[in-house]
Amino acid sequence: MTVIKPEAAPYIAAYRAGVDTAEPDWLRARREAAIEQFATLGFPTRNDEAWRFTNLRPLAGAALPLAAASLPNPAIDGIALGVPTYRLVLHNGIPVPALSSTQALPAGVWFGTVAEVLNVRPELLKSAFVSSDFAGNQPFAALNAAMFRGGFVLTLEPGVKLEAPVEIIHFNSGTATHTRCAILVGEGASATVVEMFSGVGAGWSNVVAQVELGDGANLRHIKIQSEAAESIHLSVTRAVLASAATYSDLILSLGGRLTREDIHVALSGQGADYTLNAANLLRDQQETTFAPFVEHQVAGCTSRQTVKAVVAERAHGVFLGTIAVHPGADQTDAKQTNRNLLLDAGATVDTRPELEIYADDVKCSHGATVGDLDDAAFFYLQARGIDPHTARQMLVEAFAADIIDTANVSEDLSAYLHNHLSTWLGGLG
Amino acid sequence: MTNLLTIENLHARISGGRDILKGIDLTVKAGEVHAIMGPNGAGKSTLSSVLAGKPGYEVTVGSVLYQGNELQGLGPDERAREGIFLAFQYPVEIPGVNNMYFLRAALNAVRKQRGEAELDAAQFMKAVKAKLSLLDISDDLLKRPVNVGFSGGEKKRNEIFQMAMLEPKLAILDETDSGLDIDALRAVANGVNRLRDPGRAIVMITHYQRLLDYIEPDFVHVLADGKIVASGDKTLATDLEARGYAHLASAA
Repeated sequence: MTVIKPEAAPYIAAYRAGVDTAEPDWLRARREAAIEQFATLGFPTRNDEAWRFTNLRPLAGAALPLAAASLPNPAIDGIALGVPTYRLVLHNGIPVPALSSTQALPAGVWFGTVAEVLNVRPELLKSAFVSSDFAGNQPFAALNAAMFRGGFVLTLEPGVKLEAPVEIIHFNSGTATHTRCAILVGEGASATVVEMFSGVGAGWSNVVAQVELGDGANLRHIKIQSEAAESIHLSVTRAVLASAATYSDLILSLGGRLTREDIHVALSGQGADYTLNAANLLRDQQETTFAPFVEHQVAGCTSRQTVKAVVAERAHGVFLGTIAVHPGADQTDAKQTNRNLLLDAGATVDTRPELEIYADDVKCSHGATVGDLDDAAFFYLQARGIDPHTARQMLVEAFAADIIDTANVSEDLSAYLHNHLSTWLGGLG
Repeated sequence: MTNLLTIENLHARISGGRDILKGIDLTVKAGEVHAIMGPNGAGKSTLSSVLAGKPGYEVTVGSVLYQGNELQGLGPDERAREGIFLAFQYPVEIPGVNNMYFLRAALNAVRKQRGEAELDAAQFMKAVKAKLSLLDISDDLLKRPVNVGFSGGEKKRNEIFQMAMLEPKLAILDETDSGLDIDALRAVANGVNRLRDPGRAIVMITHYQRLLDYIEPDFVHVLADGKIVASGDKTLATDLEARGYAHLASAA
């Protein structure tokens, strides 16, 4: 007899009410196992080392409603990239065909919703699902495994090179949305994937994503988290890179009341390369926990992480970063940098960069800084006639924009990212 | 002609510290070039900081009138928009802020204050090109972030370039000659000389007489222990070079 945590009860009830008997047996069995796991785990507490800085109180209220079947389509002007893309719009996880354009995909590319995959290519979902079922003690990933309906799967056959970006707009209109995503890039294939999370109201997006890159595959993955101010965004990404695969990850996190970004990257083939550029921009009472875990499993891989946070007003930024180097992973070249800019006296940051090294011949470095605006630069700008408000914005923008500028993305994408950054800065007091 | 700058019995200090300036009187008219010289610790940099409105300095006694109005209480950006320009002894590197973006924001802030139309990107570039050729500066400085990776000479030249663009009424050059080799000094001095104008006053703060070989002042003042202890024409500087500051400092 397992003990069910009280906070899990409403979720278990919602799960029971939503069981879909038309689903394949293997999937239903996995969901059942996952909800049992979640029932025992419940929400993490501050006694859990990985969650000790994260305040989950915003989640503690009543369980949020799941999406209703029919809602008016969201407005995506200003959210969408605005250049030709292969686009999928998910409204509370449910596809919106009228706003999507996934038809013209070249041969060798499969891009569809979770429901479509179940109908057409169940083996894809099973593979991605099974491999992302690493949940262990991650209760929200377990809850996702039990509850997910929406999401997407993108697969590229070996050698396929997609020129135009694949664009996914996740729009949450104040619901609990458990989204499952998979990006599977075959040997030597390459793609750019841009995910935008946006919405209105006090919703909860609980996202689990699986990324698999074959030998020599190349993925540029851009995520903009611009959810509604009262919302919760919890995301777990697991990426596995085969030999000589390249994964460039760029995350701009601007929205949400409570955000947690867990990224687990396994460099499992020789010469694999991971780059993370991330900027977390926080104000009001926002809280973001950013937790990349990069695992060098074999020799000769490289990783570069630069995670910055701008923390204003009474916001709270948390960085929990780990580089783990396995025995035998010689010639590992890994670097992790966390830089935090505190703008106000009430803003706080907790940062804990960690190295776990079990190989001898490695080059690993990490560092964290927490500081406020450079007084000398602030004075210099003003001494040339620039008012203090603008001067502050220029310096904050310079600090954060570096994340975009060093990522070497196309002009369109760069402009898109800069626009989101400027919009955020415009609201800065 | 009315005074551009009138300093009367100015006492000032780093907030909470002891007075560094102990009663300065100085009058500067438009079109004049003044040199303020003095030994280390005399208060030269404090004077320039107080005039520019640098935070952390406070005036305890006295007044600083600029165009007849008290400067105290105005922020550094307001002073700059009113036409006061400080060429920094150590220009600040600002990674991530493009030099051109910065300078256009500054110029438009100043122009707005003067009641002039703001310049669009094309008009701005035209103005930049004109000033660059005036000062013999190559335009590759402009594409970089503000002062980042500039040599000492490039930084100082960039200061003078900014001065040329912003066209201040009162320019304060704080140890502009420090750290420059002779060629760079000559280039910077030539730039300053081209910016001499009947409507503009220049106050040069310097440790050494050699800057005055290139920019000839109308007046030379000696600052020692927070006071101006001697004033004269440029021959005073030559005299100082020969005899040092000591005999004047002891009179302070």
